[in-house]
Amino acid sequence: MLEAVHLTKRYASLPAVQDLSFSMRPGQVLGCLGPNGSGKSTTVKMLTGLLQPTRGVVQFDGHNIQDNLEAYRKHLGYVPEEPNLYPYLTGWEYLELIGSLRGMAQPNLEAKINSLLELFSLHPQRHASIGSYSKGMRQRILLIAAIMDDPDIFIFDEPLSGLDVTSALIFKNLVQALGQQGKLVFYCSHVLEVVEKVCSDVLILRKGVVIAQDTVENIGQILGQSLENTFLHLVDDVDTMSVARDIVTVMKMKGA
Amino acid sequence: MITEVMEEIFRRWEERSQRPFWRMVRLFIARIFRGGGDSDAEGLDLGIGLVLTLLAMPGGFVSLLLLNKYGTFLQWLRGTTNVDPLLVVLPDEYFFIVLSMTVTGAVAVWRWDAIFPDRRDYMNLVPLPISTRSIFFANLVAVLFLVGLVAFDVNAVSSILFPMVVGATQSKFLFFAKFAVVHAVGVVLASIFAFFAVFSVLGLLMAVLPPRAFKRFSAYIRGIVVVYLVALLCTTVAVPDSLRRTKGPAPSWTFLMPSCWFLALCQSWRDRAGPVLRELSRLAVPGVAAVVVVALCAYAVGYQRHFVRIAEIADTTSTPSTPRTSRLGVLLDRLMLRTPFQRACFRFVFRTVFRSEAHRLVLTAIGGLSLVLVAQALMDAFESAKSWRQAMLSTDALSIPFIVCFLGIMSLRFVFEIPVDLRSNWIFQLLLDQDGEECEPLARKVILILVLPWLLAITFLVYLYTAGWFVACLHTLLVATWALLLTNIVLIRFRKLPFTCTLPVFKQHSFVTLISVCFGFLLYAVSTPEFESSALNYPLRMIGLVPVAAVAWYIPYHLAKSTINIERKLIFEESPVQTIQALRLSE
Repeated sequence: MLEAVHLTKRYASLPAVQDLSFSMRPGQVLGCLGPNGSGKSTTVKMLTGLLQPTRGVVQFDGHNIQDNLEAYRKHLGYVPEEPNLYPYLTGWEYLELIGSLRGMAQPNLEAKINSLLELFSLHPQRHASIGSYSKGMRQRILLIAAIMDDPDIFIFDEPLSGLDVTSALIFKNLVQALGQQGKLVFYCSHVLEVVEKVCSDVLILRKGVVIAQDTVENIGQILGQSLENTFLHLVDDVDTMSVARDIVTVMKMKGA
Repeated sequence: MITEVMEEIFRRWEERSQRPFWRMVRLFIARIFRGGGDSDAEGLDLGIGLVLTLLAMPGGFVSLLLLNKYGTFLQWLRGTTNVDPLLVVLPDEYFFIVLSMTVTGAVAVWRWDAIFPDRRDYMNLVPLPISTRSIFFANLVAVLFLVGLVAFDVNAVSSILFPMVVGATQSKFLFFAKFAVVHAVGVVLASIFAFFAVFSVLGLLMAVLPPRAFKRFSAYIRGIVVVYLVALLCTTVAVPDSLRRTKGPAPSWTFLMPSCWFLALCQSWRDRAGPVLRELSRLAVPGVAAVVVVALCAYAVGYQRHFVRIAEIADTTSTPSTPRTSRLGVLLDRLMLRTPFQRACFRFVFRTVFRSEAHRLVLTAIGGLSLVLVAQALMDAFESAKSWRQAMLSTDALSIPFIVCFLGIMSLRFVFEIPVDLRSNWIFQLLLDQDGEECEPLARKVILILVLPWLLAITFLVYLYTAGWFVACLHTLLVATWALLLTNIVLIRFRKLPFTCTLPVFKQHSFVTLISVCFGFLLYAVSTPEFESSALNYPLRMIGLVPVAAVAWYIPYHLAKSTINIERKLIFEESPVQTIQALRLSE
C-alpha cells in the first residue's frame, strides 16, 4: 500500500503541491492528470523520494519512505519525463549497469536484458551508443530499466513520449497487465485517452491542489461526458475554440 | 602455480568490480573522460588513449629538445665544460614543474563539468536503491583515480627522458636514479597541487554560491584560472633567473607562486638550494596537504548543497528577465546588417560567443595569452625608454594592438569551427539558402565588430595623448587596414554559418596551416611594428607597406573569384578528404 498523506511542497514561498492525499492499493493503476504547472512532476518526485515534502509524508506499507529510501527504492521502478541517459554507453551497457546497481544476479540479469531488448525491438541496436538512439528508443531503454528488476511500485511520468504506435500499444497493455499482477502503478500523462484506457482511478490536479479523485467511470459520470470534456471542464477555464481562432488571426497578421 | 594465482586475482577483481560501488566508480571514470554536462551535445570527444597521449607529449618533446643543452659534444663545442648539471638544471626543472602544473590544471578546467556528478547522474542513479553517500564516495574515488592517472601520464615521459638527458655526462647510474626520483616526486606533487587547487576553487564556489549563481559565474572563474595558468607558463622565462639572483630572505611574491615551492623542494633534495630556496622548500608538502584537505572539504559541502538538492533546484522556476532593446543593435542593423539573414545570424553568432561555455573558454584562454604578451611587450617598451613618448613609439609598444588584433581575429576564426549543438542546426538547414553566399560577409562583420571598434578607439586615444595626432592617425589606420586584410585572409573559402557545422576533420595540410599561423604572427605582430617604428620617423617609408597590402588583398580576392560554384555552397558537415576518389565518368 502506497499512501500520500497531506503532501505539501513549497519552493521558497511558492506552493507547488498543497495538502495532497491519496492511497494506492496493489493492483491499482492510478492516473495523474493536470495541465502544465499543476504539480504533477513535483508529486512524482515526492513519491520517488527525489524530493522531500515540505509537509506531510509518503508511506509505503505504513513506513515513511524517507526513513529508509534505499529499501523503498528497491521496490520502485521509475520512468522519468526526460530520457536523460549516458550517451556514450550502449543500450546493453546501460541496462547492465542499472541491473548491477539494483543488485541483480549477473546470469539472470543478462538473460533478462536480452529478452527484454528482444521484446522491445531493441536487440539489433543493443551495442550502439545511446547517443545515436532516437527519443523513442531511449524511452524504451528507460522502460526496460524500470521493469527489469520486477519492482512492486511503478511510477511512470509521461512514458509514451516519443514511442512509436506499436511500442505505445505494447506499453498500454503492459500497464494493464502490471495492474492485474498486483503491482501499484502511478501513471502521469497529458494523454487523456491513454489514462482513460489503462487506469482504474484518476487524480486530477490544478495549481497543486487535487480537484477530483475517483474511478475513471465515476469521474466521467460527474458531467455525463467523456474524460476529456470532464477534464477540460474541471481544469481549464479556457475556451479552446476561441483561442484556436485567435491563433489563426495572429498568424495571418501582416507586419506593420 | 603463478597462473592459478593470477586467475584467482582476476576472478576476485571481476567479482569485486561487479559490485554496485565499483560499477559506479567505473561509470564516473568513463564520464569524466567521455562526457559531462547535461546535454548530449557532441563535444571534443577525443577518446581516452588520444587524450593521454596528447597530455604526455609536451614533457617528452621538451626533454628531447634539451639534448641540445646537455649533450657533451655540444657543450664542448660551446666551450662550457665542467659544469655542475644539478645547478644548471634549475630553469629546466622549473619549466617541467610549471608545465606539469599547467597541463594538469588545464585538464581540471577542461573536465570541470564532468568532475562533479550532475543532473544526469542524479536522474539515473538516485532513484536506484543506492545511498547518496555511496554516490559521493564513488565519485571521489573516480576523481582520485583521475588525479593519479593525469599526474602519472603528464610526467611519466619527462621523468625518464629528462634525467637521461641531464645524466648524459655522468657515468654513475646512481646519479640518474637519484635525479629521476627527485624530479618525479617534484613534478607529480606539482601536478597534484594544481589539480586540487582547481578542484578547491570549484568546490569552494559550489559551497559558497547558490546553484544558479554558481552556474553563471562558473565560466568566468574558469576563464580566470586559464589566464592564471597561461601567465604561470610565461613565468618560466623570468622566474628561475630572478630566483638565482635573489640574495637574503625569499621575496614575498615567491610565497604566492607554488611552482617556486616545488622547484625549491627538488633543489633542496639535491643539496643545491640557497637560503631562498631552502625557505621556500618548506612550503611544498604542507601546501599540497592543505590544498587537498580544502578541496575535499569543499567538495563534500558542495555535494551536499548542489547534488543532493538537484531535484529542488531543477523545479524552481527562474524569474524571467526583460529583454532590453539595444540602441547599438538598431544602429548596427541600419549601418551594417542589411539583409534579414545578416540581422538574424549576427545575433545568433554574437549570443553564442558570449553564452556558450566552450566558446567562452577558448576565447578566454587566448585572451589570457594576449594579456601576457601585451604585459611582456609593455615591460620591454618601458625598460630602456627615457620618456612615455619614446616608450610608446618603440617596436614593443607599437606591436601591442597588432598582437591583440591577430590573436582576436584568429581566436574568433577558430571558435567559429567549434559546433554548438549540432542537433539544433536543422533550423538553419531548413531555412537558409544554400547558394546565398552570405556566410563569409557575416563572419567578417562579426570579427570586425568584435575586435576593431574598442581596439582602434584605445589605440587612437593612447597615441593621441602620448604621440600626437599624426602618429595616432597613422598607427590606427595601419592597425585597421591590417585587421581588414587578415580577416579577409582567414575567411578564404569560408562557407559555413559559425557554430553549425561539424568539427573539421584532420587534413594533410593542417600542419602547414599551423606553421603558417606562427609565421603569420611573426609577420603581423613583429615585422610590421618593426617597420612601422622605423617608418614613423620618415613617414614616406610607409608607402613601402602599400605593395604588401595589395598582395594581401589580391590573394583572397583572386581565390574567391576562381572558386567554382559547388565550393561556394553553404555546408553543415565537413567531409573527410578521400585519398582515392572515383571519377564515375560513366554515370
